[in-house]
Amino acid sequence: MIRVTDLHKKFGRFEALRGLNFEVPEGSAFALIGANGAGKTTTIKVLMNILEPSHGSIEVLGVDSRRLSPKELAQIGYVSENQEMPSRLTVAEYVAYLRPFYGTWDRELERTIAKQLRLPVERRIGDLSHGMRMKMALLCALPYRPKLLVLDEPFSGLDPLVRDEFMEGLLNQAGEMTVLLSSHELGEIDGVATHVAFLDEGKLLFQESMSELMGRFREVHVTLEQAAMAPREAPKEWLQVRAMGNVLTFVDTRFDPSTLSEQIHSQIAGVKETVWQPMALRNVFTTLARAARDGQA
Amino acid sequence: MVWHIFKKDWKLAWGFVLAVASLHWIAAFVKFRLGVAGENEALTMLSQLLPGLSIFGSMFLTCAIVHLDAIPGVKQDWLARPIPRGSLLREKFLFVIATVCGPMFVGNLFLGVANGFGFRSALFQATIFVVYLFFFTVLPIFALAAVTRNMTEAFVMGCACAFLIGASITVYEFANGASHNTVGGVVWSGVGWIGEAIRLGLAAIAATLIAGVQYFRRKTILARALLVGFGVLIFISEVFPWHAAFAIQQRLSARDNSARPVQVAFEPKLGRYKSSSAVALAEDRRRGGSENDAAVFVPVQVTGIGDDAILITDRAEVRLTEPEKRAEYHGTGENFDVRREGPGSPASSVYQKIVVPGSVYRDWKDRAAQMQIEYSLTRFVLKNSYAMPALNGNERMPGWGWCETEVNEAGTALELHCLQQGKGPICGTVLLENAATGERNPPRSVCRSDYAPYLDRPLPDSLERFGTMLPFRDPTGLAKFPVDGAQLAQARVVIRVYEPEQHFTQSLTIPQIKLRDWDAE
Repeated sequence: MIRVTDLHKKFGRFEALRGLNFEVPEGSAFALIGANGAGKTTTIKVLMNILEPSHGSIEVLGVDSRRLSPKELAQIGYVSENQEMPSRLTVAEYVAYLRPFYGTWDRELERTIAKQLRLPVERRIGDLSHGMRMKMALLCALPYRPKLLVLDEPFSGLDPLVRDEFMEGLLNQAGEMTVLLSSHELGEIDGVATHVAFLDEGKLLFQESMSELMGRFREVHVTLEQAAMAPREAPKEWLQVRAMGNVLTFVDTRFDPSTLSEQIHSQIAGVKETVWQPMALRNVFTTLARAARDGQA
Repeated sequence: MVWHIFKKDWKLAWGFVLAVASLHWIAAFVKFRLGVAGENEALTMLSQLLPGLSIFGSMFLTCAIVHLDAIPGVKQDWLARPIPRGSLLREKFLFVIATVCGPMFVGNLFLGVANGFGFRSALFQATIFVVYLFFFTVLPIFALAAVTRNMTEAFVMGCACAFLIGASITVYEFANGASHNTVGGVVWSGVGWIGEAIRLGLAAIAATLIAGVQYFRRKTILARALLVGFGVLIFISEVFPWHAAFAIQQRLSARDNSARPVQVAFEPKLGRYKSSSAVALAEDRRRGGSENDAAVFVPVQVTGIGDDAILITDRAEVRLTEPEKRAEYHGTGENFDVRREGPGSPASSVYQKIVVPGSVYRDWKDRAAQMQIEYSLTRFVLKNSYAMPALNGNERMPGWGWCETEVNEAGTALELHCLQQGKGPICGTVLLENAATGERNPPRSVCRSDYAPYLDRPLPDSLERFGTMLPFRDPTGLAKFPVDGAQLAQARVVIRVYEPEQHFTQSLTIPQIKLRDWDAE
């Protein structure tokens, strides 16, 4: 659905994207994660042909993003936190304006979404709150059943109630469509994303399916008979190795229950007990981000 | 899709459109109410204020229309929509034509029809007016708006452009002054319209390219570079060479051989130019308004103009060369005109005034030099002659316009006020004649060098107002007029309309001349 190849984007001397490579599989909900300024929005703007890449390319729906024509754009839904829409038009007027540009626009679906999102369609866009605007943007992106839905920081600045309404609206209509969303809030993609890519300062640190990612990370606690000390040469898949009293803690990034005990015993003497537990998504990312900064990832 | 986008823009901009349209229409109505004489002070003030406001309004409106779907920037929703760029561009042009040019057109059509110039003529002139403004104002503003994100950016960029244009003109004026008016010469001349037509073409090409680059490729930096590049080209066109422009004008002459008998020759027998008084002499010697300039008066004789014809010089380019060509001065002389109304002496004598910098005069005054004057000339011939009553005259004269007469408040002169749609007459003589006795006052004659085939200064509207004063009484009692105030009831105003027939060049070479010999005395 989307293939990003050696993507670079420079703004003057500042390099916002530094050689990104990843693929978004069809039917997936792909989350681009990263701190503010990591390059998520820039990647999406290039994808939508709003910005031009300095080098490399993005293929969207089989077409180079620079060659996106109305035919392809009619199959892409786009929602951004800072989308500028004609503020003097009402929601209904703007939706009516957009309708003829999409051959597959479903008016019944439009009504359903508007009702579900509880949008005041007769109100001017300029008078809408940020949350309402985001919901309106979603209303303008779903009724034509796009093959690809691109959401750029869709939850930014939304209160929990509005966020839930937004998510409900989105999930109800998502169906078979491929979703690419960017966020700096991990909690927002939990339960939504099937795949995830982590960006840091314009570089892709990793991309993986959520199930694999969550399956291979474990927090391991090893209780020793004596005071614990971090091994001099711990395996590279062990991150954040810490010793506290007689307990050694680390994050195993290649968790395999069948080999872990053997691996621990080969590294550490006097092991009394080994316990491991799944990690929250937030902790996985924190671990990865720290490792990336320390050059371990 | 064009109409669909049009309706959206109308919903967003109708208030602004109606406000600007109202300004145009009120301005047109005020102009109409002003009439031919235009003596109502309040209306005159409004008529000076409103057209400028309405043009500014139109410029801002053009910008606002383009900015409804701004091209630069990354936040506009429409960028991610399947809106065909070609349709959007066509819609913007259509919307601008309909809402910016449309009201101007209607206003000018109303002005023409309401002032009795006839529907077809009014339609034609209103169209010319709008086309001119479209190319010279609307298109450049459209291009400027296409490379800017919002009104603030457009305003700042517009101010920068205006500053650069002003600076360029200052540099040009300086260079022209330093080279004794020989750098350009086309601007503000009769053939200035040729340079202007080139600028018009450049503006159209620039706007088309910029709009194309922006709407189809969104290359704002390239589009801005094009804007600057074409701005420079347009400035360069200001220094379009005189000889090339005049050659084009010659090709457009109505008749090629009518001026063949015209000869301009050096006439030393005429003697030195005599100033009318000591004050006039000091003034004549200084010339040019600068203490550092000096003037010489070369006597020339002009023959072969023909009856009922006027010869005017469009340019007199002067070269002074020493016999061995060790030094050369290159400058321009002042333009003059020679009239022959009715049959008379076949030769006319006139002084060719040449203003030179003081330093040049001091260097050359005693040198025996060769003087060559390259004349660019135009011969005008009588096309029409009209007469209208001196008192309360009100006539419509084809090729001249709609005129009214009235005696001025002091009771010393007859005021002739005229209104013409489109371009007014460029050459004519007006005089007061006693219809019964045939006696005439000295004619008032105005011929300007302006051969544009269209009204090339359309602001503030497509009407041209002009007039003259015909004195019949001197309050000091020094001058006596053959047709005086007592005869006004039987008097009529005679108007003779001249039109350019041929443009041609002629060279006058004086083998040996000393500047000192041709000072004023």
